[in-house]
Amino acid sequence: MSLATYSWLVLAFPLAGSIVIALLWNRLSGRVAGVIASTAIGLAFANAIAATIKLQERPEEARHATSSLWDYAATAGVNVELGIFVDPLALFMCLAVSGVSFLIHVYSVAYLKSDRGYSRYFAYLNFFVFSMLLLVLAGNFVLLIVGWAFVGFASFALISFWYRRATATSAGMKAFVINVIGDVGLVLAAILLQRDTGTLDLPTVFARAPQVFAHNEWVIVAICLLIMVGAFAKSAQLPLHTWLPDAMEGPTPVSALIHAATMVTAGVYLIGRCYPLFQIAPTAADISAVIGTLTLLFAASVALVMTDLKRAIAYSTISQIGYMILAVSIAAYSAGFFHLMTHAFFKALLFMGAGSVISAMAGMQDMDRMSGLRRALPFTFGCFLAGALALAAFPGTSGYFSKGEILELTASRGGLYDVLYVVATIGAFMTALYAFRMVFRVFYGAPCEEAKQLEGGHLAHVEPFNPATGESEDTDVGFPGEQHHVAEREWEMKVPMAILAVLAIFAGLIQVPGVDDLVTAFLEPTFAGAVLHLHASDATQMLVLSLDALCAIGGIALAWFLYVHRPGTTAKLIERFRGLHTFLVHKWYFDEAYELIVVLPVRTVGRFADEVFERQVVQGMVNGTVAAVRAGNSLLRGAQTGVLRDYALLLLVGVGGLALYFLVVAR
Amino acid sequence: MLSLLIFLPLAGGVVAALVPGAGQRGGRVAGFVSVLFAAVTLGLAIGLIAEFDAGGGLQRVTDVDWIPQLGIHYKLGLSGLNLFLIALAALIWLVATIGSALREWERPSTYYLMLALGETAVLGAFCAQDLALFVLFFDLMLVPFYFLIGIWGGENRVAATTKFVIYTLVGSLLMLAAAVATGILATPEGGQVSFAFSDLAQRPLSNGEQEWIFLAFALAFLVKMPAFMLHGWMPDAYRAAPTPVVATLSGVLSKVGAYGLLAIVLPLFPYATVHFQELMLAVALAGILYGSVMAFSQRSATLVVGYSSIAQLGFITLGIFSLRPEGAQGAVLQMINHGLVVAPLFFIIALLAARSGGSDDLDRMGGIAFRAPVLATLFLIVALATLAMPGSANFMGEFLILSGVFEAKIVYAIIATAGVVLAAVYGIRLYQRSMHNRVGDAVTSRDIKAADAAVLLPVVAAILFLALYPQFVLQRSQKSVDTSVVATKVPWSPR
Amino acid sequence: MDVVWYLVLSALIFCIGATGVLVRRSPLVILICLELMLNAGNLALVAFSRMTGTADGQVFALIVMIVAAAEVVIGLGLIVAMYRRRLPMDVDQMSELKG
Repeated sequence: MSLATYSWLVLAFPLAGSIVIALLWNRLSGRVAGVIASTAIGLAFANAIAATIKLQERPEEARHATSSLWDYAATAGVNVELGIFVDPLALFMCLAVSGVSFLIHVYSVAYLKSDRGYSRYFAYLNFFVFSMLLLVLAGNFVLLIVGWAFVGFASFALISFWYRRATATSAGMKAFVINVIGDVGLVLAAILLQRDTGTLDLPTVFARAPQVFAHNEWVIVAICLLIMVGAFAKSAQLPLHTWLPDAMEGPTPVSALIHAATMVTAGVYLIGRCYPLFQIAPTAADISAVIGTLTLLFAASVALVMTDLKRAIAYSTISQIGYMILAVSIAAYSAGFFHLMTHAFFKALLFMGAGSVISAMAGMQDMDRMSGLRRALPFTFGCFLAGALALAAFPGTSGYFSKGEILELTASRGGLYDVLYVVATIGAFMTALYAFRMVFRVFYGAPCEEAKQLEGGHLAHVEPFNPATGESEDTDVGFPGEQHHVAEREWEMKVPMAILAVLAIFAGLIQVPGVDDLVTAFLEPTFAGAVLHLHASDATQMLVLSLDALCAIGGIALAWFLYVHRPGTTAKLIERFRGLHTFLVHKWYFDEAYELIVVLPVRTVGRFADEVFERQVVQGMVNGTVAAVRAGNSLLRGAQTGVLRDYALLLLVGVGGLALYFLVVAR
Repeated sequence: MLSLLIFLPLAGGVVAALVPGAGQRGGRVAGFVSVLFAAVTLGLAIGLIAEFDAGGGLQRVTDVDWIPQLGIHYKLGLSGLNLFLIALAALIWLVATIGSALREWERPSTYYLMLALGETAVLGAFCAQDLALFVLFFDLMLVPFYFLIGIWGGENRVAATTKFVIYTLVGSLLMLAAAVATGILATPEGGQVSFAFSDLAQRPLSNGEQEWIFLAFALAFLVKMPAFMLHGWMPDAYRAAPTPVVATLSGVLSKVGAYGLLAIVLPLFPYATVHFQELMLAVALAGILYGSVMAFSQRSATLVVGYSSIAQLGFITLGIFSLRPEGAQGAVLQMINHGLVVAPLFFIIALLAARSGGSDDLDRMGGIAFRAPVLATLFLIVALATLAMPGSANFMGEFLILSGVFEAKIVYAIIATAGVVLAAVYGIRLYQRSMHNRVGDAVTSRDIKAADAAVLLPVVAAILFLALYPQFVLQRSQKSVDTSVVATKVPWSPR
Repeated sequence: MDVVWYLVLSALIFCIGATGVLVRRSPLVILICLELMLNAGNLALVAFSRMTGTADGQVFALIVMIVAAAEVVIGLGLIVAMYRRRLPMDVDQMSELKG
């Protein structure tokens, strides 16, 4: 089979899985839906590997392929085919997406076991992966947008999966609407590209763009900024990040899926994919780099104070995506995608660990209530620690090499980029601090009540409740399920976590400075046209990598000092810097600002339109006409007294009047 | 062939009214007969699509001198513009008839006769290739709907009907006057009067004449759609009309207005079209924004859909008056799409209301998805298509429309994108408030019956088919759309 | 004798009849007054006929008499019906046509 066939199969299996599960939703008993879904993704992963092998067999300059099924919309100058474009970048994403998603599917088979929405869950989950694969394989902008929006919809469906919770549905709505804002940005960019280059085909657009647009011309800058709106909405960058922390309302494996393999990395992919455009528009690329850097700092600062375990990890995702955006914006493409891959491993792992912890706490997500779970959850602890080490970029782990490469390439560009480098390094220190803040608060200290019970072999159990509001759930609904599942007791959870733990620690070895560069070499054909080939000198490399290691170790040490050695210190710090703490706890007041700037005015306009304009003006037009007619006829109606003699008088007067008139006229 | 298509529903209505036992048991027999005839009509319409030649111009022309003294022809024809609208009308009417047959009616014979008369009038208006004939069918549409809302409507039906009739009559009368004026003024000295589109297109009017005639036609069509500021009849009529009637009203009748703009106004009054382009774009844009804002402030689900229609038809108008082929193509596609989504939405709302104590108030709904996954899925598909989710044909329609407007007037296009975001808000809100969250007090969640599914499935199937292959429509409409749009581009000298 | 005297008499009778229609409330009297007005017209018609020497006016007068007869039949029938139903014999109270 050819490269294109394999690539189509990558798309076909998740879609088929989703449709099969959706159609047979009430006939699938037990874990069948989960098995079907996992198999579908597993097959997609296998096909992605096969496609990669086919791709690598080709000579370097021919490592891409296009294939299309039928004309989707070909009219009036717009020419859109239902077609895919396969190249190393697309397959790199396919591998990362389907591989990590497969593990998350397997994990979910056990984690969602007692949930009554089991089939629905896996239908959505397969659709989610299908959408993401469609996004990365799309051969033109329309199909890219289709995949883009499908991802947004799938995230909406999964975030509001437990739709009985008002918090979950409003979080789903928020995610959907912000994603649509991103879609609109992308649509406008596509329309502008169609107008100026006359095509929507990805390779053709990129080939024509340098001839059509002058360097840094305002049109191409605008296009790139619109693309960034799309990318930032999906990748939760400032100022469109507010949906991601709320997305924690979904089941924990969904968080893992959204944060690790799919969705949030789409923005990084998009900017990487559109690099020929960003090369012509360096202004836009610089803005993107600055926003990425600001985001990584902002999110890291918020992650320092979050007490909700999942939300803390969510902010760490926003922060890490900031690094990736920074990388692809400064033309350090392979570094950005390398970090995307390692991040997928350790972030999925962290969420899986968090899921296990939350199960052990019977649904409780608040870190204030957790402590000393180390002995109760030894396996989870080991995996979480591996993930946290990689997140903190501890020397030797995967995160160390990927983040190090981003930092050194940022430093190598010099000039104003040095500022970005410094900020990113500060961010790295904060990353280590908040990563181990989670580890120490959850797993160290005196065991909490639930931990003690679990050590005695009893898993804590309470009636299902909404962790955000404390509201209790109706048990007859059946979702979320009544049972909780920890990794220690379920092999379906254990195996993926073990695999990811190994990858989180060792995956960095495929691209160690001075030793090997597998990722860069693999992606080379895609980025062959790049003008800037960044390369850090050995001295910069040494300096940056050792500083990075120092930050990681320093951050971990500080966390140990604050949370293990002198546990009361943080309370004093909060007391001392109360203003700052409140500011961070309110996440820099972004939600409040949006409420004030966007939601409130729109709602007011809506109410005005409904209550004043519609009633007074539009209905007023109708009612005014009716009233005028009525006033006229009430005048005439008065003449109809019904008294016979009045009519007779009128008659006489009329006839007499007419007679007089004729008499006068006759004279 | 086209005459057969047009008058078959009416024949069905007459047969349904006369068939023995038509009036008994709420009109089961009459309903069955009507469904049969509506299905055959749809079959004919599909046959027309199958045999349509995408490269040809006007096809299957019937041309008979009807009133020779006045130059009125009985002229019908099939073009890329009306081809799919005919199929849409036939499909929506079939669905509406099935929906009607599922419940009992008072005076069923009359009801089905009126419903069928409505279909005949709409099909006639779509097929007519003579201005006088078009006006006749256009005004004929009013008669059955006057009775359908006035007799079988719900609460407040008399006021609703009166408003509906007054609004549309004002438009219709203006159009009648304008049509007569067009025919007479266009006739050259000593020539034979003719109302056929093909003749009128050859006999352009002077600029001044075009301007006021354009306004009269535009007013009639905009009222029918309805457009912003002319929608005063919409809220009452939609709320009062029975579900099958409102499905046809919003799904098909509104398209007659848009079709009239594209097929009649553009080719016949090219100067005035260009002259008033900005005005029409502004009206369309106001409709998009106003409709969207209203749609998410409503509590009544019916009105959410009603106001969203104003926004959607704003997009269609925007596409037509971009005066660009891609914009007009998008408008044609969007007319079909909107008809396909809005009709099932009204049926779904009826089903939702049946599950929440008979009220379409969103505040009283909630949690209906719990035991109704099939209904929830169908609703979700339709709702996503409504908000023009990429991947649906609606998205392709909006994409083409925005492309066209971008080429024509970039500012309007940029403002119009706000409508896309707002559509997501009201679309998802409609779905969530009814299906998700806690179960409302008066709500009993149960899934739909097979009969109800029979109403929804044909339309949902059509939505999914077009989502995968919008080219099916675009390919066949391209030539006629080009002809309509090109008329406004030709440098044109007044007579 | 001059035709004017006939016309003056006719006008007098017509005015008496009209006044009766306007001021009286009993339907029976109103009917009688109506007859009076009709016959005033007849008188004028016959007088003109005599003056011009043609039969036109007399033919008109005959037709008026026939109409008057028909009117009396219907009018009296209505009055009898009203009486049977014990409705008030007062035209002012029969004002159901009030708008």
